Amino acid sequence: MPWYFYLALKQLFPTGRFSFFTAISVLGVALGVMLLVLSTSVMGGFGHEIRRMIVDTQGDLQVRGVGGKVINDAAALQARLAQIPGVAASTPFAEGVVLLQFEDRPAYPNMQGVDVQQVNGVIPLARYVSIGSLDELDDDSIILSVQMALGLGARVGDTVEVYSPLILERLSSDEILAPRQLRVAGIFEIGHQQLDSSVVIVTLRLMQDLYGLGTTVHGINIKLKPGLDADETAARINQTLRGAGVQARSWMELNQDFLFVLQLEKNMIFFLLTFIIIVSAFSVTSSLLISVVRKTREIGLLGALGGKPRQVAACFCFQGFLIGFAGTIVGLVLGFTALHFRNDMVEAFTKLTSSEQVLTRFYQFRELPGYSETRDIVAIVVCSVVISTVAGLLPAWRAAKLKPVEALRSE
Amino acid sequence: MSTDDPSKGATRRPASDDAPAVLTACAVQKSYQSGDRRIAVLCGADLTVNSGESVSIRGESGSGKSTLLHLLSGLDDVDAGTITWGEAGPTANRRARYLGMVFQSFYLIPELDALQNVLMASRMIASPGARDRARAKDLLARVGLAERMTHLPSQLSGGERQRVAVARALMNGPRLILADEPTGNLDEHTGDAVIELLLGLARETTTALVLVTHNPTHAAKTDRELLLHEGVLRAVRPSSGF
Repeated sequence: MPWYFYLALKQLFPTGRFSFFTAISVLGVALGVMLLVLSTSVMGGFGHEIRRMIVDTQGDLQVRGVGGKVINDAAALQARLAQIPGVAASTPFAEGVVLLQFEDRPAYPNMQGVDVQQVNGVIPLARYVSIGSLDELDDDSIILSVQMALGLGARVGDTVEVYSPLILERLSSDEILAPRQLRVAGIFEIGHQQLDSSVVIVTLRLMQDLYGLGTTVHGINIKLKPGLDADETAARINQTLRGAGVQARSWMELNQDFLFVLQLEKNMIFFLLTFIIIVSAFSVTSSLLISVVRKTREIGLLGALGGKPRQVAACFCFQGFLIGFAGTIVGLVLGFTALHFRNDMVEAFTKLTSSEQVLTRFYQFRELPGYSETRDIVAIVVCSVVISTVAGLLPAWRAAKLKPVEALRSE
Repeated sequence: MSTDDPSKGATRRPASDDAPAVLTACAVQKSYQSGDRRIAVLCGADLTVNSGESVSIRGESGSGKSTLLHLLSGLDDVDAGTITWGEAGPTANRRARYLGMVFQSFYLIPELDALQNVLMASRMIASPGARDRARAKDLLARVGLAERMTHLPSQLSGGERQRVAVARALMNGPRLILADEPTGNLDEHTGDAVIELLLGLARETTTALVLVTHNPTHAAKTDRELLLHEGVLRAVRPSSGF
């Protein structure tokens, strides 16, 4: 090992242990890294959960009529889609807002009409039905989301009344207003507050009937084979179905504004929290500068022993690198530990502040999600180590500039 | 300049004229700027030190002894004149192998124990191997610190620290040792012991020694005594008539 690396190690870890100055510097970097890991992972968790939720409820791709038109022959279109490489399964759907009422308690959910035979090939709906069963869904029944069922006080087996825009239109034409009576066949819970409080599921036939769609559908959800790029496959489908009056869009394209905001938030948090590392890097610089002043005569001695200025500089620069490296390792350990216990910490905090409901209401999730992307962790490690190494440059330059003779004479 | 000139007695060689010169300083000049004034410290100092020879340099405080030593070590640049180590001039690359230095304030690295401080000299050349470790231990044993190798400088007395510094100076088997008032921070008894040690080891290893000292007794123990006065080195012993 070159002497300047050896001496850097010895100065940082005399007698094999952290010196006080080293411990403080490492801790500063570690705290920055910990917060970065925690925040990017939680933000990544939100993104990951939202992606899962979108794909689980919409599929990887969605085909709709151009200009909001309905699709007339869904079966024929599905047959054509099945021929396109990469398409694993497809299912038609119809959707719209309805007025739902149970014992004088109204709600205005988004009703999704699904083909019970095909839907599970694209959307794992059966997995989310926590009470009752998807198999029990027929043209006279409905599956409620959990928060809506709680809000209405409706249970499996109860009957709810549904008014569609078509019924309301007939009302305006002085026709008899007859709400549709539907039995609650099940209750589902996806884990996302918005979906769990505003969506209900019925059969496709019932939805077509309520909205007067006949045999047409609003769109077709598509599941792709694993590992395929959704945008590329959407482009391939559009190429194949050119002139058919339909357009395929990936889940990312459908939610691009939301995903952009999410990414922007994540980038902003990364940017802001990087300043913690930069501030701690200043403390590294300050400590190393003090070290240069304190060790001026030793620096002179190194020159007298045959050390070159660039080697002396390397000694201090390496100390900055080591502090950054050690701080990053400690920060990663602290960050992942905090990430592991995030829900316990949030629970303790919300209990302390009596704000359990706030988390669900504003953040959509019952638990704080966490998902660490490799590229985020690599970016954190690189940022932290590079910033800390750069922090050692100024002291290194000062040390290299010292003339041995003047250094040896210094008091 | 002629070596017959009594005022240039510093360039004279001792009895062993056949020994090669390990250090030659010719007409060395050095001055410093102090405010508006330029102060001449060395005004043509000449010195030749042969292999195995010990030379002491005395002089009043501020006479330029340390400046001369820094110039001889190549740590500082001369204004005029030349300095040669053997065949070539001083460079940082040659310094680690050619030169050993001992300072008044010891200058041990506080984070390293005695053994590692001695090994630091060899680290400047390459990572120390088993042979280097054995040599460092041997040198520490020879300076009487066999039992204190793992002690940090803060756990050693002044005399012990200086002995570690002497061992460090000898670690790479240098041709020349420059000692700048090595007893300046030691009591008389300890200082005497360190000088005896330094001279003994230099003699034993046929290493040339330039000793800057205020102490006439210590100076008298070297082969030659020089006096730095008004920027010029003059021979005190052997006398100018030598």
